[in-house]
Amino acid sequence: MKKDTGKYLPLIPVFAVYLVLFLMGKNMSGMWQLMAMLLFYCALGQAFNIFLGMTGYVDFGYVAFMGVGTYGMALSIVHLAHYEVLGAWVIVIGFIMAILFSTILSLAVGAVALRLRGAYFAIATIGVNEGFRFLIEGARIWNGSEGLIFMGELNQILGREAASVLATFWADVMVLVIAALAAAVTLVYMRSKIGYALTALREDEDAAKVMGINVTKFKIVAFVTSASFAGLVGASTWALKTPYVFPPEVFEIHYTIEAIIIVLLGGAGTLLGPVAGGLIYGLSKYYLSIFLPGFQLLIFAPIIICIIVLFPEGVVGMLKKRLRDTALGRYIV
Amino acid sequence: MALLKLEEVTKRFGGLVAVNAVSLEIDAGEFVGIVGPNGSGKTTLFNVISGVFFPEEGRVFFEDKDVTRLPPFKRAPLGIGRTFQIPRPFASASVRENVAVGAMFGVLGPEVNVNESLKIADQIIERVGLQEHRDKQAGTLTPVEKKLMEIARALAMKPKLLLMDEAMAGMHPSDIDGMVAFIKNLARDEGIAVVAMVEHIMRAVVGMAEKVIVLDQGSKIVDAPTKQALEDPKVIEVYLGHPPEE
Repeated sequence: MKKDTGKYLPLIPVFAVYLVLFLMGKNMSGMWQLMAMLLFYCALGQAFNIFLGMTGYVDFGYVAFMGVGTYGMALSIVHLAHYEVLGAWVIVIGFIMAILFSTILSLAVGAVALRLRGAYFAIATIGVNEGFRFLIEGARIWNGSEGLIFMGELNQILGREAASVLATFWADVMVLVIAALAAAVTLVYMRSKIGYALTALREDEDAAKVMGINVTKFKIVAFVTSASFAGLVGASTWALKTPYVFPPEVFEIHYTIEAIIIVLLGGAGTLLGPVAGGLIYGLSKYYLSIFLPGFQLLIFAPIIICIIVLFPEGVVGMLKKRLRDTALGRYIV
Repeated sequence: MALLKLEEVTKRFGGLVAVNAVSLEIDAGEFVGIVGPNGSGKTTLFNVISGVFFPEEGRVFFEDKDVTRLPPFKRAPLGIGRTFQIPRPFASASVRENVAVGAMFGVLGPEVNVNESLKIADQIIERVGLQEHRDKQAGTLTPVEKKLMEIARALAMKPKLLLMDEAMAGMHPSDIDGMVAFIKNLARDEGIAVVAMVEHIMRAVVGMAEKVIVLDQGSKIVDAPTKQALEDPKVIEVYLGHPPEE
């Protein structure tokens, strides 16, 4: 059992970064907003990495899972607020609904689209997000394009004071917890047969098949896992932080692109990668918009190009290679 | 009972008949060479046996079970393993992890966990002589090492039938001798039937095969014990052309 002791060591640096972000935000005045944003990007990367990083498939409709997760929470609050017995459990039910919604959507999308290869999959998923948004708006599902506004209901459930603390503090803490959970699940997958199967199919799908790997099954496992974490991130960061949902805001492809950049910058398929990617992306975005407002994208693009050219496997991918045979290598996977 | 039985298998690609009504039987533990010039349908035949393609006509039996339309990932656990003509390593994973994947999803799959699979991988890596490279990324190996790793990966599946697609192409003659002896010993020890496919009738096949099947333009033209097959006028014709007219 000696080998097993080191199995979960790589979570230490990940959790350490999250803890530092939390403590800095809590104790340094005016830093909470920035830290919350960084945590959001880390969580987004950590969730997306389970699919993009581990399977090598690009899903351009990823934000749709955050969107339906947001709706899961919003609908729970709107419809359950007047059952007073439930109290704050409504929030818990909301998270469960978020997982349910994103799982159902990802199963539906995955069962069809994951039978396609590489680029064809990517193209098929572009339509999912836009299609879902227009379905909600056009068919007037869940109040259509007028969206859901539930500040009142939230105040009714928790009281004005608590609802405000929830929006400004606890919602961000929940994002942190989700990011940490996503990291833990990533490592559990990596160390199990699932991880080996995903690595094999990412590298060579045909070879994986003739070696006995049911590639479609494992792709769906990664897809659904990744999607449910996206649903949770949406539920806490969008529904609880800002108590309203409008379809154009939550089905915004911009977030999918950000998630892709974060995963690739940090190192696709690595555990620490999304953390590094989230920090680099979040910090550059924040400070560039302060120091060079209006020019941030102009400066940001070459930065991304430089990083991708210098570290084609991402920052952590490069570190992992360098540290392969050293004592530190055990902490970075 | 034949381990593998093909009945009148035909595979077409549009108008091209890649494999034409081929029937054959391979017994457990047997060593068979499949030879035939470029384009004779060898790789397609392998793909039909391992499930990459389904044939248009005919049936494939493995241990008397009809596997004609079984997807490849369900055939591997039954005991059909293969290597590719051009090695296809899982490049970012280590040699050890590559080989362990074979153990995890092959015949032993349901019984072994990750740690046990890694242990099996270690034994097989030692057996093929790759222990120095165990923790290297598979993508960084030399071509010959990659071939060895593919064989190790297939062996880790504990196959009953091992299909080797040009396993020795591009190897140095002295390496080939070693490899032939190694595969032959291994097949004998483990009772694996090996079907090795080569483009040319070379000494590798002559050295190890008990039986030779010769394909030409998709059809089986000879299926006989090695010595007899090599002297067959049809085989000589395929490789050397028509004998001069009198």
